Amino acid sequence: MSLSQTCLHDNHVRLGAKMVDFAGWHMPIQYTSIVSEHNAVRERVGIFDVSHMGQIFISGKDASSFLSYVTTWDVNKLSEGDCRYCHILNNDGQIIDDTIVYTFSNQDYMLVPNASMISKVFDWLNLNSSNFEVNIYNKSEEFFCLAVQGPESLRLLRQYFNLSITPFKLIKSDNLIISGTGYTGEKGYEIMGPISESQNIWESFLEMGAIPIGLGARDTLRLEKGYLLSGTDFNGSQTTLESGYSWVIDWNHDFIGKERLLVQKDGEYKSLSGILLEERGVLRPGLEVYFEGEKISALTSGSLSPILKRGIGLSYLDLPIGTTVNVSIRNKQLKGRVIQTPFL
Amino acid sequence: MSEIPDNLGYTEDHEWVGPDEGNGVKVGITDYAQDSLSDVVFVELPNVGDEYQRGEVMAVAESVKAASDIYAPISGKILAINEKLEESPELVNESPYGSGWMVLMKPSEDRSALLDSDSYKNSLD
Repeated sequence: MSLSQTCLHDNHVRLGAKMVDFAGWHMPIQYTSIVSEHNAVRERVGIFDVSHMGQIFISGKDASSFLSYVTTWDVNKLSEGDCRYCHILNNDGQIIDDTIVYTFSNQDYMLVPNASMISKVFDWLNLNSSNFEVNIYNKSEEFFCLAVQGPESLRLLRQYFNLSITPFKLIKSDNLIISGTGYTGEKGYEIMGPISESQNIWESFLEMGAIPIGLGARDTLRLEKGYLLSGTDFNGSQTTLESGYSWVIDWNHDFIGKERLLVQKDGEYKSLSGILLEERGVLRPGLEVYFEGEKISALTSGSLSPILKRGIGLSYLDLPIGTTVNVSIRNKQLKGRVIQTPFL
Repeated sequence: MSEIPDNLGYTEDHEWVGPDEGNGVKVGITDYAQDSLSDVVFVELPNVGDEYQRGEVMAVAESVKAASDIYAPISGKILAINEKLEESPELVNESPYGSGWMVLMKPSEDRSALLDSDSYKNSLD
């Protein structure tokens, strides 16, 4: 199967990026080095091509009640211009995907699913829409998405668009959607629009000093903040409660998967926890976690925090914060501690 | 373009072996290897006194994204390790043939299995 390419694929190749297969897309993992790109976002400003992510538009009379039914959030409570992070669950309360709901009006919304989940989410929405008067369009192939992140990002927005943005709000400027969202924990925003405009914006932001950032640093940046990676930290068999994101649930409305979550809420369950390595080493997905000599879990995500210079990882555990665990790396048991994310 | 000094011996797995300085030979990874790995953030080195056969995994270099095994380029005994790499693994990137050396070995075989710089260069093409 040939790999998909974003509208900026050739730009990445020209910049000398190392390209990899990510969820069926030929994407830049790094342009120079993951650590320098990571630091550029924490200290200055970086730009990411995330045009592989999806854009699904939901409109119609019942759009808000439909989205409230298929997500963990009561979308009826959102106002025009609100962006809300939430989960789309199956009937067992397990996460199909995490997404942001963009509110254009109470009859007009957009969801941004992860690249590998676009068709699954689109099919799931259609499957559950029969009792609602809604139109659902997948426009993922028509849109680019650029994330501009870092302490200097807002200066570039003023410079280029003469605009400012508030976290978790969106503004429309001509045919562009600009939202105060991101996946790094830094100040920043994402710009979406028709792919014909992507070249100009990408080149202009590079000229203004934004550093191009690959998926490698995108992963270390999100992991330092404890953000979930679709397909890695959840893969269809974990609930929102287990993922540690109970704050994305509005219990005062009915939604697919709620019954299962209500039952689970009062019981015991493993939840996604941070592990900070206390010895030198790098954590990796799949490494086994031991408690009192017994194998109890494995890491879903793992890396080295370029800022903390320590191994960090995520794992489904039922141990209290502060518990000492061991992570097995090449047959050595290295000491780690269960901590509350974010790591940074 | 990778730097490949003339006076070193090489393996196809991208290790280098320094000239015999009377007190053993230094071993490290090549410029090509450090560039492929990108940011080296952790190096696991063997213990002094350990003995390795050529081709055995002797050390591990980890970048943010991946861990790479480093093989003994020559059979022998570990006389010393570069302890600076514990605090500063980035030396492997900055100076792969200099301050980023990994171990000092006392070889128990001759250098006939090693590639010279031209052969190593050809193996990269």
